[in-house]
Amino acid sequence: MKRDVFVAISFLMAFLLISYAITVKDVLGMAENPLRPLGGFYLRHAFAPSNLTSHSPEVVTAIVWNYRGFDTLFETFVFFLSIMGALSIFRLTEEQEKEVRSLESREPHRHMDLITRATTKLVVIMIVSISASIALHGHLTPGGGFQGGSAMAVAALLLFAAFSKFTLERKGLTLRHVITAYAFGLALILATAIAPVFLYDGRLLQINLLPGETGLLNLDVGEYIAVTFGFLMVFLVLGISEWIFKVILRGEIE
Amino acid sequence: MQELHLIILAIVVSFGFVFSYLAMKEHDLLKALALSSVQSTFFALGFYILAAPDIVLAYLAIAVGAYTALVILAISKTERYEVGE
Repeated sequence: MKRDVFVAISFLMAFLLISYAITVKDVLGMAENPLRPLGGFYLRHAFAPSNLTSHSPEVVTAIVWNYRGFDTLFETFVFFLSIMGALSIFRLTEEQEKEVRSLESREPHRHMDLITRATTKLVVIMIVSISASIALHGHLTPGGGFQGGSAMAVAALLLFAAFSKFTLERKGLTLRHVITAYAFGLALILATAIAPVFLYDGRLLQINLLPGETGLLNLDVGEYIAVTFGFLMVFLVLGISEWIFKVILRGEIE
Repeated sequence: MQELHLIILAIVVSFGFVFSYLAMKEHDLLKALALSSVQSTFFALGFYILAAPDIVLAYLAIAVGAYTALVILAISKTERYEVGE
């Protein structure tokens, strides 16, 4: 116990020393040069009548999807690869899927009490609307596709916890439908990335050639759909009970 | 004004440090997870003071929502209490 207190106090002292050195003593030299030339470039061009504009007052979204667009595009591909990895680890043949369904119908049907379920319904509606506003307004105010999508994934998780996986599947959010929606989001991103090449003789992802903020809005909406349904896909696959997987992998079918 | 922001930032981040330390020392993994999401909330406040609302929106949803749920799923497949020193 004494050692714990000692460790905690030494951590705090180190933290205070570092923040004192950076803010008051200015060891990194950030005080005399608050805006770097690169940052100044973004601030001057993101929403200005020039060739390098992004048609967006939200400089962060402009950097994320236009000036540093390839980073975000490849991030989307990394996310795609990790989801495909999860799906291929948990892949099932069609007969096995039927077995999973018949085994799941035998599972005891459990759900939480009325208060939790009613509150969850209200909260989920709020989260969905807020995540939509984060994503669809992402080119004007702080936010964007990934932020909105991850907020939406939390709504899906709440539904999972308060109700069950079967509630989602009864509402039509089966694995197949979710994969289709995910593919639609990715297709929207790719189409927007390629559109300047074919329509305006530009380069890949040169979305400032597209009229107005179409490019940023399309990419945000595509990322929103992709992230939402990507997370949901992983949760649906992980939601299958462990004992069912064990039964199927051992081949113990009655 | 800037000094006030920096002082609030220092307080918030030190609270975050305290909670991350408590989470490391906790033997009940579910309690540790709750402490770690409190720490994430403090760090999200820190990001907000640093004028990065884009990060706050993603960080809160991931660190408090998705990460916690995935770790609960992992804990449900192992034991709840960390044994021994």
